[in-house]
Amino acid sequence: MNTDKNDNKIKILIIEDDPVITEFLCTGLKYEGYEVTPSTGGKAGFDALQQGTFDLIILDVMLPDTDGFKVCEHIRDCESDIPILMLTVKKEISDRVKGLDSGADDYLTKPFSFDELLARIRALLRRSGRIHESKRLRAGAIVLDLETREVTKNGKKINLTPTEFGLLELFMRHPHRVFTRETLLNRVLGYDYDGGTNIIDVHISHLRNKLDDRPPHLIRTIYAVGYAFHPEGANT
Amino acid sequence: MKVLDKLSLRARLGLLYAVLLIFSVVVVGCYSYWNIWQLFISNKSSQLRARAKPIIEHWLVDNDLTKSNNPHLKLNPEKAFILARDLTSRDTVAIVLNRKGDIIANGKCLPEEPQAPIPDKRYFRRALSGENEVTYRSQVNGKPVLVLLIPLRPRPASPQIFGVIQMSTLLTDIRKILFRHGTMLVSLVAIILILGIVTGFWLIGVSLKDLQSLLTSCNQISKGNFSQRVSVKNHRDEIGKLAISFNQMIEKLEATFASQQRFVANVAHELMTPLTGLRGSLEVLLRGAQDDPSAMARLSKGMYREVNRLIRLCEQLLGLSQLESCSNVHKQPIILSEFFNEFKANAQVLAGGRSLSIQQGPYVKVSADPDLLKQILLNLLSNALRYSPRETPVVIRWKLLPEQVEIQISDQGQGMDRETLSHAFEPFYQGKLARLVSNEKGIGLGLSLAKSMVEAQGGMIRIESEPGKGTTVFFTLPLE
Ligand SMILES: Nc1ncnc2c1ncn2[C@@H]1O[C@H](COP(=O)(O)OP(=O)(O)OP(=O)(O)O)[C@@H](O)[C@H]1O
Ligand SMILES: [Mg+2]
Repeated sequence: MNTDKNDNKIKILIIEDDPVITEFLCTGLKYEGYEVTPSTGGKAGFDALQQGTFDLIILDVMLPDTDGFKVCEHIRDCESDIPILMLTVKKEISDRVKGLDSGADDYLTKPFSFDELLARIRALLRRSGRIHESKRLRAGAIVLDLETREVTKNGKKINLTPTEFGLLELFMRHPHRVFTRETLLNRVLGYDYDGGTNIIDVHISHLRNKLDDRPPHLIRTIYAVGYAFHPEGANT
Repeated sequence: MKVLDKLSLRARLGLLYAVLLIFSVVVVGCYSYWNIWQLFISNKSSQLRARAKPIIEHWLVDNDLTKSNNPHLKLNPEKAFILARDLTSRDTVAIVLNRKGDIIANGKCLPEEPQAPIPDKRYFRRALSGENEVTYRSQVNGKPVLVLLIPLRPRPASPQIFGVIQMSTLLTDIRKILFRHGTMLVSLVAIILILGIVTGFWLIGVSLKDLQSLLTSCNQISKGNFSQRVSVKNHRDEIGKLAISFNQMIEKLEATFASQQRFVANVAHELMTPLTGLRGSLEVLLRGAQDDPSAMARLSKGMYREVNRLIRLCEQLLGLSQLESCSNVHKQPIILSEFFNEFKANAQVLAGGRSLSIQQGPYVKVSADPDLLKQILLNLLSNALRYSPRETPVVIRWKLLPEQVEIQISDQGQGMDRETLSHAFEPFYQGKLARLVSNEKGIGLGLSLAKSMVEAQGGMIRIESEPGKGTTVFFTLPLE
């Protein structure tokens, strides 16, 4: 996980009335390691806010009981500087400014992509100092620099293709997690990549060669499922 | 005409006005000129006659001719000369002619006296046949003269004529006077014309000014600026009235345009929400949630719901757009009881086990489009089912009214508050309560669609609702 303390998860409150949007937000964000609390309206959201502490609020502009701006102002009035990410629809473009005026920190226009949502969330958390995302990912002797996009092992530079870099980054961000080939394909080559999953095996074998990854592998093959990353292997 | 068409209205009116003005002024001028000329001439001739009459009578008495009855009397040239001489003056010369038309005496002696014109045979014959007032105009050496012919009779009214006196007088004086008169007339006409045309153009300009501002506004509006209005000073003339009704028209247009824009924005909004759900769910699945069966199930169910919602939205939009053109309404005679017997199956599917009763009313034949009628009922029924608890019944019944039939759908659900009731028929409007209570999210088109469909068939729709007690929707259809 990219937080400084793994057991202490980032808590996100979702205030959105559409059940399907709530569903995918919850599922997707949980997968990314966030702790998510859904609530379907302004009042419910506010109640949830009283009971627990949150690091970020995702707020829909169109709510059944009140509109999102009022909720936003209300939150700002009585509480804190929790980052608020507003979800709007195009026709409220002029409302964007209003949204930021009312205290929202950022907005996202529906239909947004989940990747963009994640990026915004991360940016907001970083800005508010709730996560200290290190610019480097470490696994034993392997160091992956997110800014320069360079990988070194024992200080020696390893040349990786963008796909291989993406794979390694994914693995290092989610240690021990088992990825299917399908998922790896989608995450690294894009959701609309048409082609067999064999290509992933090819990339993985290249990556293992370049990392000089001998058994027991850092990148382990999980039989009949996919791959998982075990950083403790790097120590050997 | 082609050229006229190219001119502006103002120039055309001005031109027409100017032409009319010139024409009438010139006609009046010419007529008055001619009239004065005639007056002068008749004046002159009666003057001459008045002068000649005593001289001739005197001469007849002197020559003992008054008693003469001899038709073949020959005039003595010497005596005739005396008469001619007496009748001659500075500007008038007289000659005496015998019955054959020969000149037997000429009164001109002095060089300054004018010359007599050669007698004209036609007029001479008329005078000889007894006509007293033969007067005509002629020319001598290029100068205009007035010629008078006086038959010479022994007594007034005697049929016997032994000669004719021709008196001729120069018209140069009259010409001069007339010329002066004419120039005055022409300059007067010119002044009138100039004044008339200038004031005419000014008047036309003033009355067309509102038209000009109307034109400017039209141009603005054609550029899409619907807030434009025409300001008019005079509200009573045709242009003022045109401007007023133009303003009213623009107001309507503006309202229609705004509601159209609102509608499109609403559609976009309604499309965006399910699309967001679909896209997000798909992305989450592709990112790895597909490997978790329970997440997979939840997300795909949600996606299925969103797709259904999109389909419903599209169907309803299609329905609305079809209704816009009335040609899609195919009315036919429908026996209500038979229709409802068939409809029952559809309704039962929708009700899904809930208590639904269709109470048969009187035998009636209505004129309606069966497809539309079915859609209306399905929309209203789905509302009644959605906004009422499962245990409560929904009832459909009908009643005969004069010339129409009223169909009612009643539920015993939550009812509508005043605000919902007043907006229920607006496209995309959804009551607050509805959005909280119903698990399946609607779009807000159901009632507005039903209203359009009822109205397309010549009926009316209204709602009676009491919060907490229930709702009844009434709509009418014309009888066959
Ligand atoms: N039978 C009813 N009882 C109570 N409220 C009703 C009833 N019918 C309609 N309403 C109210 O009127 C609103 C508009 O109804 P309408 O049918 O146009 O839209 P909808 O039912 O919300 O969506 P859909 O387009 O899916 O029908 C509803 O949101 C609801 O608040
Ligand atoms: Mg409805």
